[in-house]
Amino acid sequence: MRTAAPNTLVARGLIILLMIVTLLPFLSMLSAALAPQGTYPNGLQWPADPQWGNFVKAFEVAKMDQLLLSSALIVLGVVPVAVLIATMAGYGLAKLTTNKYKWLYLVFVFGLTLPFEAVITPLYYEVRALGLLNTRFAIILPLIGLYMPFGVYWMRAHFLNVPHDLTEAAQLDGATRWKEFVLVQVPLARPAIMSLTILLFLWTWNQFLLPVVLVQDPMQRTMAGALGAFQGQWGTDIPLLCAGSLLILTPTVVLFLIFQRQFVAALMQGAVKG
Amino acid sequence: MTDTISSGPGAPKPALRPSQRRGSRKATMTASLFIAPAAIAYAAFVLVPLGMSFYYSLLRWDGIGEARFHGLTNYITVLTDSDLLQIIGNAFQLVLYFTIIPVGLGLAVASAIRGQMAGRFGTVTRTVLFLPQVIPLVAAGIAWSWMFASTGLVNQTLKAIGLSSWARGWLGDFVWALPAVGIIGAWVLLGLCTMLLVTGITKIDTSLYEAARLDGARPWHEFRYITLPGLRQEIGVCITVTVIAALASFDIVYISTQGGPGITTTVPGLEIYRLAFAHRQVGLASALAIVLMVLVLISIAPVQWFTRDKK
Amino acid sequence: MRAYSRHALRIALTLSTTAAIAGTALAAPSCGTDPVVLNSYFETGFPLPSKLAEEFTKQFPNVTFDIKEDQFANMMENSPRILSEDNAPDLIRLPSLTDLVANNLLLNLDSYFTEFGWDKFPAGQLVQLRVEEGGRPRGTGSLFAMGLNYSMTGVFYNKELATQLGMAEPPKTLAELDALLAKAKGAGIQPIMQWNKGTAGLAFPLQNLMGAYGAPEPINDWIFQKDGATINSPENLEAAEHLDSWIKAGYFPSDANAIEYFQMMSRFIGGEGLFMFNGDWESGNLDTNTAGKFGFFIMPSEEDGGRHATMSAPLTFGIAAKAAHPDCAAFFLDWVATNEEARKINVAVGGSNPGGPTDLPMPAVTPGSVTEASLAAGQTLAEDNGAMDFIANATGAIFAAGWTPELQKMVGGQQTPAGLLEAVQEEYETQLSR
Repeated sequence: MRTAAPNTLVARGLIILLMIVTLLPFLSMLSAALAPQGTYPNGLQWPADPQWGNFVKAFEVAKMDQLLLSSALIVLGVVPVAVLIATMAGYGLAKLTTNKYKWLYLVFVFGLTLPFEAVITPLYYEVRALGLLNTRFAIILPLIGLYMPFGVYWMRAHFLNVPHDLTEAAQLDGATRWKEFVLVQVPLARPAIMSLTILLFLWTWNQFLLPVVLVQDPMQRTMAGALGAFQGQWGTDIPLLCAGSLLILTPTVVLFLIFQRQFVAALMQGAVKG
Repeated sequence: MTDTISSGPGAPKPALRPSQRRGSRKATMTASLFIAPAAIAYAAFVLVPLGMSFYYSLLRWDGIGEARFHGLTNYITVLTDSDLLQIIGNAFQLVLYFTIIPVGLGLAVASAIRGQMAGRFGTVTRTVLFLPQVIPLVAAGIAWSWMFASTGLVNQTLKAIGLSSWARGWLGDFVWALPAVGIIGAWVLLGLCTMLLVTGITKIDTSLYEAARLDGARPWHEFRYITLPGLRQEIGVCITVTVIAALASFDIVYISTQGGPGITTTVPGLEIYRLAFAHRQVGLASALAIVLMVLVLISIAPVQWFTRDKK
Repeated sequence: MRAYSRHALRIALTLSTTAAIAGTALAAPSCGTDPVVLNSYFETGFPLPSKLAEEFTKQFPNVTFDIKEDQFANMMENSPRILSEDNAPDLIRLPSLTDLVANNLLLNLDSYFTEFGWDKFPAGQLVQLRVEEGGRPRGTGSLFAMGLNYSMTGVFYNKELATQLGMAEPPKTLAELDALLAKAKGAGIQPIMQWNKGTAGLAFPLQNLMGAYGAPEPINDWIFQKDGATINSPENLEAAEHLDSWIKAGYFPSDANAIEYFQMMSRFIGGEGLFMFNGDWESGNLDTNTAGKFGFFIMPSEEDGGRHATMSAPLTFGIAAKAAHPDCAAFFLDWVATNEEARKINVAVGGSNPGGPTDLPMPAVTPGSVTEASLAAGQTLAEDNGAMDFIANATGAIFAAGWTPELQKMVGGQQTPAGLLEAVQEEYETQLSR
């Protein structure tokens, strides 16, 4: 089927150029991270005496271990719950409701393009009224809600493509429905659930606006929020800032490299469906 | 965002005979149990706050003291104040960079390679180009602040190739700060768009190209009449994602320029945050928030309509 | 709660000591003996508060500090929110007072003023920290903050470059300063190193020029939000025009809008720039790291022998109205000004006047150091009664929404001197009308 592409060389050259442009900022940060602390190094220049110790220092001052724990707790608080209730609702909307309830689906979909900034101010007062300000729940609870448009949309789309006869098993009562959902539908939906999990994990880990507004203590924030605080505190020291930034983005990059195929698939489908 | 699926084969049959009504009520009960948790979470942390945002937007309130009803004054301010209009304009200028660069370069790569990137080269390409999608935008902002710094790589390169007069403090320059922020966004979105378009182009029937070549079509015509229409959906996706990223941007600007110099890089997201939490004008902040939401919807709607699947 | 615990302490103390000892000294609030963690919010890049905290813990082991740091621009934006929340800091570096007082976010320190005997401090030092009920005007009314020290801005100079240009002694008039700047420019030396990103560092030279052209009182009235005060005066316009002529002459770095404060410091220390307008809080830093290389002088007046006036402000620290340990925080603030070791640290690390009771001796400084020069400049300023608060402290948002964008525009050639003052005045009035 495939004909030899006409401009393979040009294309490869272009792609390699894009890859270099993509990687340069990381390299530039690495070279700066190895410069002596408190100096203003040059953009990209391998230091004569690489200060690998900067990473140790950054690990300590950023309290990376605590940051990892905090981000992990937030992810654990958000992702399983969000995926579960989005899957349930996606199933409910796809298989258990008639067209009469399409409005409900449309209400969910309406939230797909909503910028978080549109609700951040009231969220602040709401979370404060709940007494959750400066706790991880200030990030966890709103995020679950904010992920519903995408999560429900995503899972509903999956369940709509499941052949009908599986559910045609008749007008089942609630308990049986539930059983069917858990034992038949969820296992079948594994790829969709997997992708959703990856996306929500990334979005949570990298969430910035919510922690900046709702949580002051960097130790209770997500990685991205903590990085913002790190920049606030150490932004005056370029080598340390670069070392800390690289450390903070390492965990997701490592996970990404391991699960490269799944991540890429999830991100591309996520964009298409979103 | 397409609703073609809802009328697809999976959609439940609406027919309900009277004898089924009892059962259907039961079914409705079951359905609502399945949907309720998501609906509650969504209502509590999206719909209610959105309603509150609208309510606040009608108030004059410092967030602490007593609020006064202010009518539509805040909206009038948003739509007439020259600073706020410039800030909204900045977001639309960012669209140019966030959208055109990734889509343009993505199209160039896709039509040049016109085939699935297989093998090791494909894997490496995918991995590298997706890296910016995986890291926090904050990290992208920090990395590029450093690239654009006075002693950063951009100036270093310019000096190395004899363009010293071009070296400048990019993020503090009235002309160049906004484009520089735009470049950061383009960098983040480039890989995603490229990969979407590269994947999309493999779905175009190659016989179309062969036929075109037999007819003596030039490469530009192939691109114009086969590639572009064939990629309509993918292009639509890229534009949607990048336009939202530009209009609702916050992280990158917050980290790299704090909105300066002057207000040349201030975007609505940053201004909402500042108005609400630093300047204590919760009403005005909320009005801007509602306007931003509407602007996103208005900008996305034609893209969705235009690139809808017409096959 | 707070009042109750203090009373309890007072009763306990009174009971456990002989009545012969003066009651007031004993009744003064303290940190007690139970473990206390002071929730503190400091400014990034300035080690003084943390150093003082360290020493304090050494002297009072039951007290430790939970320190969060952030950059000044962020602190300006965050402080109202942080102070309004439940775990509000016990000690916080404050950018501006009025709005915070208006919203009842800061603890009124009047009772501590009496209990600690702060009436022995020079009253002039505390003026800027007083605010009337409701947030304005400032300069009178109750005390809402204390200074960790009392700093002033002036001109730092690079001694080597100065010698190279034949500058035997600091300029005595504005014209002499201009001549030196022109000379530096002609010799290919960066005349002034100044930051203008994030916050507007050109506010320092601007205010110094204002002080050279006019009296400080009207400017203070404006900063203190007295009725009818304006920044848009003929003298200030002259100052702004003078600043603009410096910009146009290329005396500031062409990328000033991309230079952040700490970049400026690093470049100035690296030998880039004859002058730098900055505060004496850097004197200690320069003495420690680059002894003998830099000097400091007070901004010259327009005419020789004229009155000196410049920005001089406390390193403002307040206590949140909702603070958990207000007594201990107040005790810390008193200790900083009165404890001998603390005063030594204050001068050595900070380089500014430590304030405190007038009868306490000033810690010794190295002859020929920047600190010596800046403390002497402070003396001159006091004699001329020329202290002004910082023009960026007039309202909570005037720096972020007024001076910074407008001065950045001026550097970018997008704003005129008259336009600058008009725009800032307009922003000021909008903010006061809220």
